[in-house]
Amino acid sequence: MPDLGIDVLFKGTNMLRLLQGLWVAMKISIVSILISMPLGILVGALMTVKNKVVKAIFRVYLEFIRIMPQLVLLFIVYFGSTRALGWNLSGEVASVIVFVLWGTAEMGDLVRGALISIPKHQYESSEALGLSKIQTYLYIIIPQTVRRLIPLSINLITRMIKTTSLVLMIGVVEMLKVAQQIIEANRMSSPNAAFGVFLVVFVLYFFACWPFSVLARVLEKKWN
Amino acid sequence: MNWEFIEKYLPMYEKAALLTVKIGIVGILFAILVGLICAAVQYYKVPVLRWIVAVYVELSRNTPLLVQLFFIYYGFPKIGIRMSAELCGVVGLAFLGGSYMAESFRSGLESVEPIQSESAISLGMNSRQVLGYVILPQAMSTSIPAFVANIIFLLKETSVFSAISLMDLMFTAKDLIGLYYKTTESLFLLVVFYLLILLPVSIIGSLVERRMRYAGFGD
Amino acid sequence: MKRKAWRNVLALALTGVLALGLTACGSSDSKTADAGSAAAADGKAVYRTLDEIKESGTINIGVFSDKNPFGYVDENGEYQGYDVYYARRLGEDLGVDVNFVSTEAANRIEYLQTGKVDVILANFTVTPERAEEVDFASPYMNVSLGVVSKDDNVITSLDNWNADDSIIVISGTTAETYLIANYPDIPLQKFDSYATAKEAFENGTSVAWANDNTEVIAFALQNEGYTVGIPSLGSADTIAPAVSKGNTTLLDWINDEIVALGEENFFHADYEATLADTYGLDYEDSLVVEGGKVNAQ
Repeated sequence: MPDLGIDVLFKGTNMLRLLQGLWVAMKISIVSILISMPLGILVGALMTVKNKVVKAIFRVYLEFIRIMPQLVLLFIVYFGSTRALGWNLSGEVASVIVFVLWGTAEMGDLVRGALISIPKHQYESSEALGLSKIQTYLYIIIPQTVRRLIPLSINLITRMIKTTSLVLMIGVVEMLKVAQQIIEANRMSSPNAAFGVFLVVFVLYFFACWPFSVLARVLEKKWN
Repeated sequence: MNWEFIEKYLPMYEKAALLTVKIGIVGILFAILVGLICAAVQYYKVPVLRWIVAVYVELSRNTPLLVQLFFIYYGFPKIGIRMSAELCGVVGLAFLGGSYMAESFRSGLESVEPIQSESAISLGMNSRQVLGYVILPQAMSTSIPAFVANIIFLLKETSVFSAISLMDLMFTAKDLIGLYYKTTESLFLLVVFYLLILLPVSIIGSLVERRMRYAGFGD
Repeated sequence: MKRKAWRNVLALALTGVLALGLTACGSSDSKTADAGSAAAADGKAVYRTLDEIKESGTINIGVFSDKNPFGYVDENGEYQGYDVYYARRLGEDLGVDVNFVSTEAANRIEYLQTGKVDVILANFTVTPERAEEVDFASPYMNVSLGVVSKDDNVITSLDNWNADDSIIVISGTTAETYLIANYPDIPLQKFDSYATAKEAFENGTSVAWANDNTEVIAFALQNEGYTVGIPSLGSADTIAPAVSKGNTTLLDWINDEIVALGEENFFHADYEATLADTYGLDYEDSLVVEGGKVNAQ
């Protein structure tokens, strides 16, 4: 068995630090998700409005955010905006801003998709049954939308956690940076640490995302 | 905005954009290949292989490309597997994209109801005709939206190649910021070039999508 | 159907135009920032003065977290190294806590200009170009460039370069600037952190690694199989603390501090605590700058 350098992680507090790094990434995605969910629902609802101006504005916002790589958005907010606007953002705050902008756009699109996927006859039937508009939404439309939405938004959580790996590039000390620091500090005693440590990072990311993927799939099967 | 600076470093961005597109295209082609193989394995329920594919799909979909690249580029050489940064980028993109492509193809194939192939067989078609004339055309039109979304997603993901020292658009911008401290100009060019690459794909994608949907459902 | 498709295209085109417009506006705003370097668009300084730092009780110091033995993180998660030892003393004498901010070479100027740190102590070589963007205090270390390569293929000269080979450099370092200016034909393999550059060098990505000679000498001493074939390249430079342009209160305090530290031979103590393990004592007098005064060599 060749030395794969996994033993490095049992020195000092290395493993704990790696997990703390993962927690930094998780925290950024959890906070961003919590903010983008309600905002996304609002944006998605607004996008089904007939008003052309409202529609166009959101369309532009949505397309720009979705077309730009998240890394570019991170750079624009972290480096570009601090210069242009003269404020000081920490890497963590900049990440949350970008993830909220992006999450809201994605969530908005999901909500819009779910709303327009409800066939028109559902509205008409409930009207024929004598339900008021509020009742129609409360008992017919929203329950169906939510069922379609929940698996998709859980998938979005997985995507966000994965994307948090990028915050390394704007100086946030998360799991990958901690991994680099550990490898660097042990370069002499454990020259193969890059394999073992990055393997563990890979596995940890997998176990951070996988439960969400499974949950989304189970819910999707159950409700569709 | 310093236009002189922009003019001077425009060629650098052009070169970088070319690299982004080149690796992106090659990587995506391999991703499609991997995706087709995986989708076929899952559709025909090939024993053993389907479990391998299932594990691969889970691993690929639930880990970030950046971590995959770090592992391949910095970790693999420790066990004797060395790759150039370009090859590593292609391998990473194929590994990540393969599972996304597989999912979109598979959902397309599965969307064609069994009754369709049964009817086709009862009409006297052989299995190749069933696949070529009945299943694939319908499956394709269902897969197209996800397929286009995957291509845009994968092209966007190439931005992390900068972490393995590929001089792509992202790295060029980062490098120029570090060398000449012209943050605004460097980021401006970065956004312009990404728009130039991704906007046409997105537009063509939505046009094709409409066409295919028209062909598929006839409404 | 058709009309809808066109509306979509139009929306997308608009997106592009608007995005460009937005970026352009944002950029023209920042022109003032470029001119004044440290002053933001609204004229407000991005940096914190000495009093503001003291009042807050914490100073933010940008250091490397992957440049052993100058700035790195040990297995207990503590920052260590020559720069870090000095940073701790700065905090102590200021009477504030030190908040270490992990930085990469290419981000150092950016971090000062956007106020993300108060001081950079990340092995920052003084150059005229950088001095236009930030303010350097008195130096605390000597440095020039060096090139390290593998024992079986020691590079001793950069002339007559084989165009198939590349040299590893770290983005935003003086080595990168020097090679671009003086050896434009040598292919460079650029990395954005020390960690990735060293990893790639070990993995055989390139035949050589060009960096501060202090760092490449340390690398050759710490790792078997490497030789510094070119120990000194380019001009002899110095390494100094840097603050945001115009932050004179902090700059003056650091300069006074460096003079005061010189009287107790602080940087020699720093060398012995952090660098002697790697370099031995042979390099002590040639590396250390005491009291901000560079001895003619």
